[in-house]
Amino acid sequence: MISTTSNPDRNIVLWEIVSVLISCLIAQWTIHTFAGQFKWVGAVPIVLAIGLMLFSHWERGENLKDLGFRFDNFLPALRLLLLPTAIAIVLVILGSWWWSESGFSLRQPGWRFFLVPLWALVQQYGLQGFINRRAQLAVGPGLKSASIVGLAFCILHLPSLLLGVLALIGGFVWGKVYQREPNIFAVALSHTLVSMALSLSIPKDYANELRIGFKYFGMLI
Amino acid sequence: MRLVHALLGKSIAETILLGGLAISFFFVAFPPHFRGWGEATPQGIAGWAINSSAPGQRVQVQLFIDDRFVSSAVANTYRPDVREAGWAPDDWHGYSFVLPSLPAGPHIARIYALHESGGGARQTLLLLGDPIHFVTDQSGAISASK
Repeated sequence: MISTTSNPDRNIVLWEIVSVLISCLIAQWTIHTFAGQFKWVGAVPIVLAIGLMLFSHWERGENLKDLGFRFDNFLPALRLLLLPTAIAIVLVILGSWWWSESGFSLRQPGWRFFLVPLWALVQQYGLQGFINRRAQLAVGPGLKSASIVGLAFCILHLPSLLLGVLALIGGFVWGKVYQREPNIFAVALSHTLVSMALSLSIPKDYANELRIGFKYFGMLI
Repeated sequence: MRLVHALLGKSIAETILLGGLAISFFFVAFPPHFRGWGEATPQGIAGWAINSSAPGQRVQVQLFIDDRFVSSAVANTYRPDVREAGWAPDDWHGYSFVLPSLPAGPHIARIYALHESGGGARQTLLLLGDPIHFVTDQSGAISASK
């Protein structure tokens, strides 16, 4: 459990959360809008955000085990995640079946599909290993900090309403579980399974092919 | 304190990145090398347009009157004064538009050069010269201009 910090540090902690979120939003919204063919520029805010997160861990004396890169609590964390993950997968498949107008079928996975576990691990590190820990420093463990995690994850999935709502709920649930059993691998596994269910089952023309950020609206040129 | 410095440094770096992106996007989408001029004539709106980065190119122009699109044309009619002034290597950069029927009174015409970027997927309009102020009478003809 993380203890809440004093007031001046709380402002810095909240600034850290906002700063990382802004970097992600810059990459999602402005790079695709303005950078044209130089999309590699999108790596700049991401590198800055990762740099800040690593520096912050170092400044606050956090190690990999503190962040949740550990296996001693993997099974307890997995046990906590089993029911919500199963419910989420069933709901996603039922919803996809409900929305399928031309008959429900699972899609063939493309090569990007195999990057989902790695992408989920990176996202959960940022979400739980950084934002959740900082939210706990600011407002303490519990509903408030888990809600901050859900809200942050939701903002990063806008303007897709479907993904925004799913991210809000998912971020909150994973945030609560992480606060009880801080294990990044377990939440990343849960994230991977729900993402796979979503990307394989949801009708392609629904939710704009799961696009988020500027890509949701426009063509990249 | 070092964390505050890191946060400040990151904010400054991102501000510079966004500023640089905005400026570079401006020069790609709104390049400053279109030149042109227009005036109200008894027959309508006429003038010339060139792209100084490609002086031989025929520029596509669009006429807007009172902020409404009226017509599109290619600036490829005879204008020897453009070459004589050193703006273009040849005489064929003029355009002219016949006025649509307009209510009597003052109007403002604007001529824009149509610029394509992003491999032709993005189009922007760049104002050529100054807005053209003119007045039409009851018959729709231009009665005064400045």
